[in-house]
Amino acid sequence: MAGRARFDFIHFMHYVHLPENQKEFPSLWVDFPNKYFNPEKGYSLYQRYLSELVLADKLGFDAIVVNEHHNTAYSMMPAPNLIAASLIPQVSNAKICVWGTPPNLEYPNRLAEEYAMLDVLSQGRLEVAFPLGTGMEYWANPINPSTARARYRESIDIILQAWTQDGPTKYYGDFYTYRYLNPWPRPVQKPHPPCYIVGTGSPETIDIAAQLGFGYASVFVTKQRARELNEKLRRTAAEHGHHIRPEQLPLQVITYVAETEQKAREEGIDHIRYFFEDALRTTPTFLAPPGYLSVEQLKMRAALADKLHGKFNFDNVNESFFVAVGTADQVVEQLEQWGEQMGTNHFVILGAAGNMPNWKVVKNLNLIAQDVIPRVRVGAAYERRVAAE
Amino acid sequence: MPAQPIPAQFKRETHTINGVKTVVLTAGHGEPLVFLHGAGIWHGIHFALPWTEKFRVIVPFHPGFGESGDDPAMNDMHDYVMHYLDLFDALGIGKARLVGFSLGGWLAAKFATEHGERVERLVLVGPAGLRGKERPQGDVLSLPPEQIPSLLVSDFDVIKPYLPDNPKDLDFMGERYREGGTLARLLWEHPYDTKLPRYLHRLTMPTLLVWGEEDKLLPVQHAALWRQHLPRAEFKTFKGAGHLVLDEKPEAVDAVTRFLS
Repeated sequence: MAGRARFDFIHFMHYVHLPENQKEFPSLWVDFPNKYFNPEKGYSLYQRYLSELVLADKLGFDAIVVNEHHNTAYSMMPAPNLIAASLIPQVSNAKICVWGTPPNLEYPNRLAEEYAMLDVLSQGRLEVAFPLGTGMEYWANPINPSTARARYRESIDIILQAWTQDGPTKYYGDFYTYRYLNPWPRPVQKPHPPCYIVGTGSPETIDIAAQLGFGYASVFVTKQRARELNEKLRRTAAEHGHHIRPEQLPLQVITYVAETEQKAREEGIDHIRYFFEDALRTTPTFLAPPGYLSVEQLKMRAALADKLHGKFNFDNVNESFFVAVGTADQVVEQLEQWGEQMGTNHFVILGAAGNMPNWKVVKNLNLIAQDVIPRVRVGAAYERRVAAE
Repeated sequence: MPAQPIPAQFKRETHTINGVKTVVLTAGHGEPLVFLHGAGIWHGIHFALPWTEKFRVIVPFHPGFGESGDDPAMNDMHDYVMHYLDLFDALGIGKARLVGFSLGGWLAAKFATEHGERVERLVLVGPAGLRGKERPQGDVLSLPPEQIPSLLVSDFDVIKPYLPDNPKDLDFMGERYREGGTLARLLWEHPYDTKLPRYLHRLTMPTLLVWGEEDKLLPVQHAALWRQHLPRAEFKTFKGAGHLVLDEKPEAVDAVTRFLS
């Protein structure tokens, strides 16, 4: 495990051609009018974004990552499997990560089928993550947010049963009944493609990952919290007899590299600002549909809301979240330090932040591929620490 | 400090109904009058005091609301009908005058279609439960919580004393979010009951339908749907009253008293 770290490139495919008065909309999610989606501009953006993902493969990134959101200018990927399928013929080496479709928002047999298709089509390069889905997804889809967690758990069970047991099998659950669970095709990778849970650190999602020995990617939590969550997962997984490997703890980092720190900030910060201030802008009601959170979680988040959703300030964001903006030397040092703290050697590079134009994305990916990826070493130190424990 | 929503005349009893902590408020003497509250009872029950002069008034908190406990397994209206069947038995109520408001009106109507023998007289006050095709009903689940209070009344001063001074009061927000979760379990998929009209003909007991003419949540036009299925029901509307017509108009409370006497 010691040696070179793993580098993924994640793309959110924002729709960036917003109307001039976009700031007047409290949310770019759920109810932001879809008349503002222009299909011609959408076509160009798809072409461009796909080319950026393909470029990451050519430059030697280990994986490319796509994900799913609905009713929002934040994402042009309500169906990430379609994007993954269109990337497979163009991406020769990188793993294809779909991180992913909330399994409770889709019929689980259908999701098992689609992921198996992608795994076969890519000759075993698929990795999947199971997110619960943001609160916003429940305003866009017909699933009851009060059943989100129970349905999520049942759907994962069904998908794993479909992948790991020879069919036909039966499943009689609270939400789904399968008299003939027997999906064709089945995945190449045995027992199934590598799986992760994506979450914001609720005890339920950590427990599921620990029980199943899945990886865990925490999103939109502060550095301190992410670190606690990784430790909690390792501890809880061990109780279930699972050893969580560093690669199973992907760490998402907003990254921008340039010739000097000054230049990196000048070129990068405006787009990071767009990411936080615009792309992520939504309302408390959309974030927390009724029944989606426990009352304790709701109160905790409401108390933090002003802090997180206040006016953008790069130093605050930099302080709270994983943001690496600077020279290649600075970014290498930063990633090694975080890798060490978080016990991971797996970085998911958010290298196309917000409304970053293509030339900056290309420049950023090239500099990361040339001057960062080959130099970051975190596995060795982590393995030594584990051995010492 | 918000005003005390429950008048001192009411005594609290706590029952365990099928495992669920159920708090019941009781005041007055006489024949039982059961009031089923709407999707929140933070605005209190001061309006019910005149009823206590003639009846034994019983106001239970529904599971998942106010002082009663939660049971996530109760996830459809029929579970609540069964809960009230159990509670009637536990309280020794054979037959009651049943008054239901809003969500509680829907529940009262459903209870009475299934257990008409337990309902002496029925009052439905701005009941939810029917699907309005022409005028979509206010969907409280999708309204930002801070917008809901002003939609409940014609005169905001009526409920203002029961609201916290700080609109971002975490405890108040948390309580409302909890009740929103209960409501989501019941009616996220369908904020109405498509089967209810099929069985409303079973409401053969004397029935009164009450509505506030300035109801912003379930506009008074909605009453036409109910009247279509309840041709023999009495119907009274009140000017200058919103959804919380009982809280806003003592005349409405009097009309209910007269109808039930």
